[in-house]
This record gives sequence, C-alpha cells and structure tokens, in this order.
Amino acid sequence: MNTINSVLAEAERAWRAHGVVRADRATLAGDLRLDLEAAAADGGDPVQLLGGDVTGFARRLADEAGVRRVRRYYGRLLGTALIGAVLGSLLGYGVLAGLYPVFVHAFDIPRSITIPVQLAVAVFYGVPAAVVVAGAVTTVRLWLHDVPEIRRTARLMALLLPVAGIVATPVTMGFASSTDYSTAPGVLFVEVAIVLATLAGATILARRLALRERPQTSGPPSPHSTQVNSA
Amino acid sequence: MFRMIAAEHQPNEENDRHTQLLRGVLDMCLLALLARQPAHGYELVRRMETAEFGVISYGTIYPLLTRMRRLGLVADEQQASPSGPPRKVYALTDLGRAHLDAWQKQWNQFADSVGALLDAPDHDPSRS
Repeated sequence: MNTINSVLAEAERAWRAHGVVRADRATLAGDLRLDLEAAAADGGDPVQLLGGDVTGFARRLADEAGVRRVRRYYGRLLGTALIGAVLGSLLGYGVLAGLYPVFVHAFDIPRSITIPVQLAVAVFYGVPAAVVVAGAVTTVRLWLHDVPEIRRTARLMALLLPVAGIVATPVTMGFASSTDYSTAPGVLFVEVAIVLATLAGATILARRLALRERPQTSGPPSPHSTQVNSA
Repeated sequence: MFRMIAAEHQPNEENDRHTQLLRGVLDMCLLALLARQPAHGYELVRRMETAEFGVISYGTIYPLLTRMRRLGLVADEQQASPSGPPRKVYALTDLGRAHLDAWQKQWNQFADSVGALLDAPDHDPSRS
C-alpha cells in the first residue's frame, strides 16, 4: 500500500506540474489507485507495472484522458509585473516631480491647519506605491491578455499587492532599524529582497487563487463518464 | 510514446522494429481482445503476452485504455473480485465494435499490399 501511495504521490506531482486541474487529478488518481490495488493483489509491483517511469506515465495518462490543463505562467507573470512596476515607478516619479510644485504653488495651506505626520507620510509614500501597483497590474492585464484567467489574476493582484506592501514595509523597516539604518550594500540588498520577495509572493498567490476552480454549472464531460454497454 | 519492455533474447534493432509495428496496431489489438471477452487492464497485459506480442508494460496499455474510454470505444465498470479489491473491467461498446471492423478491413488491405510486395520474385529471401 505504501508503494501505491508513493506512486500516486509521484503521479500527483507530475499532474500538478503538467497543469492538470484538481478535479481531474482526483479522478485520475482514484481510477489509478483502483487498478494498482487490483494488480497488487495479483502480486504486481506498481512501479514495475507502470514501466518504471511514473512521471512519464502520469503525463501520458493525462494527455490520453483529455483532461483540462491550465498553465500557470509564473515566469511570464512575474517578469511582466516587474516591468510594469518599473514603468509605474518611472511614471509615478514623473507625475510626482511634475505635480508637486504645481500643488505647492496652487494650494497654500494655512498654518492654523495641522496635518498629521502619519497622513503626510501615507500620502507621500502611498501615492507612488499605488502608481507602481497600478503599473504592474495594468501591464499584466494588457500584455498577458492571451493568458487564461488573467483578468481574475489582475483583479486579485490589485487586492493583494497593496496588502503585501503594507506587510513588507514594517518588516523592512524593522530590519533597517536592527542594522541602525545602515546603507551598506549587503543591508540594502536584503531590504530590496524582502520587498521584492513579498510582492512576488503576492503575485504568485493571486495567480494561484485565480486558477482555483470555481463551481461550474456546465462544462466538458468527464473523461470517465462512459457506461458499459450491455451486449 | 509507448514504452515497451521487449523479450530479452531479441536484438535491439529487432525490438525497435517490433515496437514501431506494435505502436500502429496496439489499440486495434486491445479492441480485438476485448471483443472476445471483457477484461481488466492487468488481464489485458497477460493476454497480449499470451498472444505472443511480448511483454507490454501496463504503463503503455493503461493510458491507451483511458483514451479509448474517452473516445467511447470501450467502457468500464467496477466488478467485485473474489480475491482482492474490486476491478475495473473494460468492455467494447457498439462504437468500438464499428471501429474494430473498419480497422480490421484496413489492416487486412494493408497487410495484403505489404505481403504482395514482399512476395514479389526479386524480394524472395529464399533466392540466392
């Protein structure tokens, strides 16, 4: 039984890597388990039975079963989001540099009004951050229009990236504080890595959530829906 | 696509040739076996061996059965086994039988053409 479980675990990994959706993975695994258990009862070794190459077998089986496959495109997604974020940051910097003097010139806030420093910081850093997120999400939405479920992915990115930013900021600040705000290259590298890793994680999470199956009222027939025709 | 484990005594080149020939007819052979009697996947491996095709891996036959099931050529049902867990037994459908008839005609024609070519006087291996 342990061998069957390990074969099925290996097959599951292969199906995941092959982009087979969860429902179809469960169907394939259920069917395969039944056959392997029957063969094992006859004294067959599951690995030998499948020809030794469980991963190759699992992929062939998925192809022949005609199951639904969804590619995740993590590499393209992260690359495009990064390009969009860079474009967004350039745009944000340009907008800020252009509008700041205009606003200063146009609005003269009376000295009697006190602006809370937290609000000033949130606006000063939040607006450029929002532009960066908007750049990443818009670029992903437009450049990857041919990728399945990209609209849903972009919507979830718009939700999760700001949360990731909020989480990453105190962590990064805490790290910076622990190094006495050192500007050594190694410290700066770690700080940038913390932010990028958090944002990349949020992007991957958005994609994973976007690809989660939703209940369907109709869809392609199950590959295993045929019935025995009584002769 | 198919991974076959051929008999050890055959030379490699002969095995490759055997594999290539089998690749084109394996689905037809499985349908023919199921036309005689429904069987579970493991049993089909044995039957192919008994029919002198050599040892064909279950890992080759199972995906093929899955494809034929998807295409409606065979259907399966679980049957209780006196010695162990329930087994998935495959049987030919009407569509499968129609395909088998058509493929058999095509195969006979093909085999006749190849046979006629090989039997031509200038290809007779018995001539010196």
